[in-house]
This record gives sequence, structure tokens and C-alpha cells, in this order.
Amino acid sequence: TRRRTGEALRAFHTAIRGSPGSARSPALKEQAQGTMLKVLTSFKSSEIEQAVNSLDRNGVDLLMKYIYKGFEKPTENSSAILLQWHEKALAVGGLGSIIRVLTARKTV
Amino acid sequence: MAYHSFLLEPISCHAWNKDRTREATSPIPIPFLWLPGPPPFLLCLPGIDWAPESNRLVTCGTDRNAYVWTLKGNVWKPTLVILRINRAARCVKWSPKENKFAVGSGSRLISICYFEQENDWWVCKHIKKPIRSTVLSLDWHPNNVLLAAGSCDFKCRIFSAYIKEVEERPSPTPWGSKMPFGELMFESSSSCGWVHSTCIPVRGGSRVAWVSHDSTLCLADAGKKMAVASLCTETLPLLAVTFITEHSLVAAGHDCCPMLFTYEESQGTLSFGGKLDVPKQSSQRGLTARERFQNLDKKASSDTANASLDTLHKNSISQISVLTGGKDKCSQFCTTGMDGGMSIWDVKVRNPRGPLRRD
Repeated sequence: TRRRTGEALRAFHTAIRGSPGSARSPALKEQAQGTMLKVLTSFKSSEIEQAVNSLDRNGVDLLMKYIYKGFEKPTENSSAILLQWHEKALAVGGLGSIIRVLTARKTV
Repeated sequence: MAYHSFLLEPISCHAWNKDRTREATSPIPIPFLWLPGPPPFLLCLPGIDWAPESNRLVTCGTDRNAYVWTLKGNVWKPTLVILRINRAARCVKWSPKENKFAVGSGSRLISICYFEQENDWWVCKHIKKPIRSTVLSLDWHPNNVLLAAGSCDFKCRIFSAYIKEVEERPSPTPWGSKMPFGELMFESSSSCGWVHSTCIPVRGGSRVAWVSHDSTLCLADAGKKMAVASLCTETLPLLAVTFITEHSLVAAGHDCCPMLFTYEESQGTLSFGGKLDVPKQSSQRGLTARERFQNLDKKASSDTANASLDTLHKNSISQISVLTGGKDKCSQFCTTGMDGGMSIWDVKVRNPRGPLRRD
């Protein structure tokens, strides 16, 4: 279980770091979104807070963007776990992180 | 700290006279001048500025004009200034020497107005390039030539507003040495939101700070080769910012309370110093089971916090102005907001380079 948590966390950081950023290709973005959603939904509720706290300010903003992207394109049961991610990310990033999702020129 | 409630309408802007005995405010939609004997006119005034030394007011409006008001006896007399714009004027600021003023407008340009003695009227020149959207905010550099402008095209810029008819050629500054009229000295690239407010501090003037709609506060330091420090805040977007010392800023906006920020020069970073409106802790009354159930039914929450704001201002703060002490050593500042109220805040400086405390 601790090993599983460790793996989930590593996958999470890899997905965050590997985010396409300024890449324009929609295919690349969709792939990244899919990967991120898989990683986020694989977390147990109790592990989410630790994962969020391991991010820096930019990481939290990026996570928030992916959370909202996940809301846009829900899969079965994804919204429930995303809401938990949202709660934890909001606690760290504040309303400002949501504002930056809305105003961002570069979307994920 | 004092709170005055003027009206129910939002106050769009305010300006103080030199000895802070008079204040001009503009609530929407009727502009008020809180002084003896003004003729009111029914327009929306987004911008007012009061020149402290020459005791003149300048107002700019959605009617695409500006008026310079001079006090003749007991009455303020307006002089029309044609700005040659085809959209509403948004903001206006007197230059430090009060021989020019700048008007930002929806025409995507800045009008720099100065008085032409021979023809006895105010004329204006336009700064257009490369502004792509409405100019929301302006602030002058202490040298009377450079002007910071925040715009809806997500950029904060510094232009030269040098008018050879009214002033000497300026000496070089950290922003550059060649300053012909309209020259772009600095342009930001980091924000993703409308730049609501900009501020240049008084001492040296080698910095400019701005707040934008993506909930960030940024500061560019010309002394560090225009390096930009930005802070992604956890708050709702800030609408107004001002320096209160060389390293500290107060900003406020949609969170309805002023906040302190500090700039650490050696590291080039900005940090959040705390909210300046800390409400008194009201006694927590326990809820009965019935009330708790009602809360759950009505609001889907069982916590005891009620829906009203704890802050002094009950709606967004739209403007901050330094009242006493100047932008260097501010000891009082004033905020006006969309709740139609105005607050005066006392600032106590702990030590020149340390954090500040609200009195």
C-alpha cells in the first residue's frame, strides 16, 4: 500500500512535469489530459492531500487547470474524485488558482 | 481606521486636495463634488484627479471629454479639453509638476494634455502604439515624463510623455535614456488578465507594480534589468495597488479588504504580508438542532458562519489613495469601493525595512 501510494505520487509528478505547456497540438493535449485523469482517479481519497501539498504554487495552478478539464470531459465516477481533488487544491491555491484557470491564455 | 458611508451606489473614483480637507468623489451614475458650489452634471465620471499645488481638478467622462476645474472664488469653473477620442475616457492623472495630465480611454490610446499659452487652451497628443485595448490605469514617474499604463490587452507599459513645449529634456533614468514622446520604455509579458492598476513609487522611480485580473501582483525592477517578480495570489483579483514605502505595497480588490505585500529586493521576490482588515472575533453562538437542519436544507452547509462579510467594505474596493506621508512613508491611506463607502486606514511603520502593521 505504501509502495502503491509512492507509485501513484510518482506518476502524478511525472504527469505534472510532462504537461505539454505551450504545445499547440490538440492530440498531444488530449493525450496529456487522459493521462492526468487516469492518474488523478487512481488516487485514494486519503492520499490526495499529501499529493497536493507536494506541489509548488505553479504546480497547484496547473493541477487546478487539469481538474477543471476533467470536469469538462467526465468519465464514469471521475467527477466524484475530482471534487475531492478540487477541495484540497482550493485549500492550498485559494480562489486565485481558480481565477487563473478562467483567465489563462494557454489552456491544458 | 474610519469608515464613512456616502451612498448606496458604488464610488467609481475619488481624489483628495492638498491639505486633505476636501474630497471629490464620483459615484455612478451621478458625479458628486464634495465641496462648496459645484454645478452637478449628469454623467458618469470614471476619473477624477486633484492637483494639490495648483488646486485644480481634472475629470474625464464617458462623454469622451475632460474638464479642468479651477476654483474662482467659491465656485469651480470647468474648462473643456477635447481629447479627440471616440470612446469613453477611463482614467486621468495629473503629472507631478501639474503642467500635464494623461487620460486613458477605450480608444486604445493615452491622451497627454498640456496648456498652450498662446492659444489659451488645452491641447493633447496621443500615445497609440502598441496599445491594443482599453487603458485602465495610469501612474506618473516622479520625473514628470515617464508614464506607466495598465491596459485590457494584459500589459503594463511605461511610455515617455515628454512634451517639449512645457518641459526640459529629461535626464537618463534606469528605464532608458532616450525618451522622445510616445517611446515605449518597458512592456510586461507575464500577466494573463486586464491590468487594473499600476503604481510607480516616488523614490527613484525605478520600479513599477501592477495588479491584474488573473489574481496576480507583479513588479518590474529597472535596476535589475527590468526583471519582473510576480506573485500568484490566493485571493480574488485585485483592483487597486499603491506603494506605501519603497518595499511595501497595499493592494485591494474584489475580496473587499486591503492587503499588504512586500518586495524583497535582493531576491527579487514578492510576498504576501497579510490582510489589513482583521475583523474582531464575534462570539460564536451555538446553533440549535432545528437551525442546523434548516441550514442544511437551505444552504447545504452546516457551518455557523453567516453570509455577510466580516470586512469593513461590504463590496469590492476599487481605488486606494495615499493620504498622508506620500508613497514613501505612508501613514494613512484611503479606500473607496462599490459599496458606496470610504475608509481611512492608519499605517504604523514597524521599522523602515520590516513588515508594516495596521493600527
